[in-house]
Amino acid sequence: MLEQNMVSEVLQIARAGGAEFTDLFVEDRVNSQLHLLNGAVKDANGGNDFGAGIRALYGTKVIYAFTNDVSRDGLKSIAEAVARAGGFAGVVDSSGAGGLDFRVATPRKLYKVEQHPLESQRLEKLALAKRAAAAAKVGHVKTVDVRYFDWVQKVLIANSDGLWVEDERVYSRLAVNAIAEDGSHRANGGFNPGAGMGLEFFAGDAPEQAGIEAARIANAMLYAGFSPSGTIPVVIGNAFGGVIFHEACGHILETTAIEKNASVFADKIGQKIAHESLSAVDDGTIPGAWGSINVDDEGMASERTVLIENGVLKNYMVDKVGEMKTGYARTGSGRKQDYTYAPASRMRSTFITEGPETPESLLKQVKFGLYAKSMGGGSVTPGTGDYNFTVNEGYIVRDGEICEPVRGAALVGNGARDLMNIVGVAADLAQGQGMCGSVSGSIPTDVGQPHILISEITVGGRA
Amino acid sequence: MKQLSFAQAKQFLLEAAKQKAASIEVFASQNSRTSVQAFQGEVSEFKMSKRMGIGVRALVKGAWGYSYTENLSEPALMRCLDNALENAHLVAPEQFAVLAAHPEPPHIGDLYGEGLSGVTVDRKVAAALELERAAREADPRVVSVAYMSYSDGESEVAIANTEGLDRSYKTNSAFQYVAPLVQENGQSKMGFHVQFSREFESLDPTQTAIEAVRKSIRRLAAKMPKTGKYPVVIENHCMAMLLATYSNIFSAKMVQENKSPLAGKLGTSIGSSLVQLHDDATRPAGMESRPFDDEGYPSQHIQLIENGVLKTFLHNTETAAKDGLKSTGHATRFGYRGTIGIYPSNFYLEAGKQTKAALLEEIGTGLLLTEVHGTHAGVNAITGEFSLQADGFWVEDGNVGHALENFTVAGNFLEMLHNIEAIADDLEFSPMVGGTGAPSVRVKELAIGGT
Repeated sequence: MLEQNMVSEVLQIARAGGAEFTDLFVEDRVNSQLHLLNGAVKDANGGNDFGAGIRALYGTKVIYAFTNDVSRDGLKSIAEAVARAGGFAGVVDSSGAGGLDFRVATPRKLYKVEQHPLESQRLEKLALAKRAAAAAKVGHVKTVDVRYFDWVQKVLIANSDGLWVEDERVYSRLAVNAIAEDGSHRANGGFNPGAGMGLEFFAGDAPEQAGIEAARIANAMLYAGFSPSGTIPVVIGNAFGGVIFHEACGHILETTAIEKNASVFADKIGQKIAHESLSAVDDGTIPGAWGSINVDDEGMASERTVLIENGVLKNYMVDKVGEMKTGYARTGSGRKQDYTYAPASRMRSTFITEGPETPESLLKQVKFGLYAKSMGGGSVTPGTGDYNFTVNEGYIVRDGEICEPVRGAALVGNGARDLMNIVGVAADLAQGQGMCGSVSGSIPTDVGQPHILISEITVGGRA
Repeated sequence: MKQLSFAQAKQFLLEAAKQKAASIEVFASQNSRTSVQAFQGEVSEFKMSKRMGIGVRALVKGAWGYSYTENLSEPALMRCLDNALENAHLVAPEQFAVLAAHPEPPHIGDLYGEGLSGVTVDRKVAAALELERAAREADPRVVSVAYMSYSDGESEVAIANTEGLDRSYKTNSAFQYVAPLVQENGQSKMGFHVQFSREFESLDPTQTAIEAVRKSIRRLAAKMPKTGKYPVVIENHCMAMLLATYSNIFSAKMVQENKSPLAGKLGTSIGSSLVQLHDDATRPAGMESRPFDDEGYPSQHIQLIENGVLKTFLHNTETAAKDGLKSTGHATRFGYRGTIGIYPSNFYLEAGKQTKAALLEEIGTGLLLTEVHGTHAGVNAITGEFSLQADGFWVEDGNVGHALENFTVAGNFLEMLHNIEAIADDLEFSPMVGGTGAPSVRVKELAIGGT
């Protein structure tokens, strides 16, 4: 994307303030999106994000500047700005004269894209979205929203240690929202499958399946009564159900929280923090996965990081600054939304691994409780681990049987405590796709799990 | 490739469109920001930026096509224009889609004070350090000031179209935010406080820090409430959060797309007769104030709910034309990367006459609700229902008692508007929710989920 001599010069200028380390992140991203309402195209948009950021580390102090002017002059001006901001203007770079001798690292490609979005026609993308929209028009569904997204992010990461990595990341996604109506009854259902793939992700009847799933939830919830409130056992469905682990636990295992002593899991490596039936992984290496990355945004190859094994805390998710501050080795977890953010330790595909149970055997253990079949999003307060998330499709469980549907349930709890309450894990692991927002912006992450049983959790409803 | 300036790029696109006999709108924005974070007495992150880009909206046979670029070289701008024209061919035509040279915008107060231009980087760093120090030292129960920042910036928005409209405005803003983590008897709590201003001198880091610590500490020694239905006083910032979350139901676009529970309710009572709901993009010093909206239409003050009766929705020119009305000036596109939608500006519930203490006295026994979490997931804007993690206090005999934790509050926003029985005089605008404002309100009852 850029010429090495120029990058070398810019990184040296950025170090002139006395920084121990500098890196450059250049991004050229092409986005494409369509929005359909009841099959008609409402919006067609796309564009080019193009910019660069320079980071300088003075100890663990981070200076970051970015610009859209990716010319030599534009980059020099932000390099000078980060040098000045170090507060040591005038210090001569002690690393000696001469340019950087870059080692060009070729990232290991986890997945080979078959049908590249930039080589595909708009009409082809539109046809996929229309198929999803048509498939969702079943039962009482009156309104269908479909959004199609793809983007191709080309990045260059170069640093003052001589690392030079270029990579291309490809993402495709459909988001279907179906609204069912009958008289005064209204309910909606959503399904948003995505992958780190090209249009081959939508092969076969994948668009129809997305539409059918959104409509299924809307129809299932149309006449549902209100969820009960109270502290009861809950069986959570697989795939996107993993959002509970993501919120309750994932965020506070990022060094971004650990390094600030803002995590209940700080200094707990090697200790039992969860029920022994629980093991969990953050994996950035699943080929074609929504949360996978060949290299992180600091140029390090991504890894499979075991977080919890049989209830014992094994690792945190660590970026470069996190490693400097906590002493734990980097895990290829330095991620960010785009060139406008400095990287931070973030999740990739985070999931609970399989256990010995089945969904049925978990339900059998519940006398009265909730089956949270499909989940919505949630959030967590990092310092305390208090979290919440929403049940999009829920059912009452009585004597081990799934009974009537209920709407409007929220699950709230505390990460540290509820991990002890995950008492049963099934063997039907699947992943769901989300956009995770945190200190370094919004990034694609998978959340995943098999069906799990939580012995007790606070359920909020209206009944 | 040589990058054009902001103004050159705009001119280049308008001329290129003229040559192609195309109707387009150019939306350009640029902003520069500085932000500083501190941790344990030292700067931990310092960030500065300049970002600009251009969005093109092309009107081809009644259909809008969009494209944008942050690469302002001539070939990239041409590609952007062509992509917008091609995208329009995919889109279903809208009968009322038009480009126009809208009426002159009103003159509204100074959105770009002199208050930031002369402030040195050193003073910004000092403000961040003071914010962190003051929070850390305010109370021995503060264990960490994990999340805080000082940030400021200025931005310019320019809109021009091939019908001759060409206008722009500049704004500046400064924010400080701090969230101290406090601990006592094994319980951890984290509250926060934010201050927004257009004048550096009016930010008070020490005061903001003390307020954030107060809001964190008051949450300690919390207990779970018993599940049940209780009368509730919703504190002003929490009410603003709920209002902001549901603002979308007032969008004419949502109504016309059959996604709002307010469809068909114009002219009917949708709330208690105490409810007066406004949107005022011309409010002096308002966080979301602007002379015109994102298609260049003049800003105005409108009242959406009058004595509980729904008077109007929020419109852009297209939704208004569809209903035979004039735009209310609420076209919003979240920068050049977005497409035109409808959002409120300074959106607020009018203050009442009673004090918050009087409202608490009236409920006797119940809850004071101070915060709700996870509104991106726990509310349903299609049905009006919500079930949210909340923070608050137990109220006994009108007095605020111990803190509550690990509970949910559930209801339906529209039912809640009907159930507002009293409104306090403490209207405040909340920088955390885009300038939405509310006073504290007393609600007949809400469902609380606890033990």
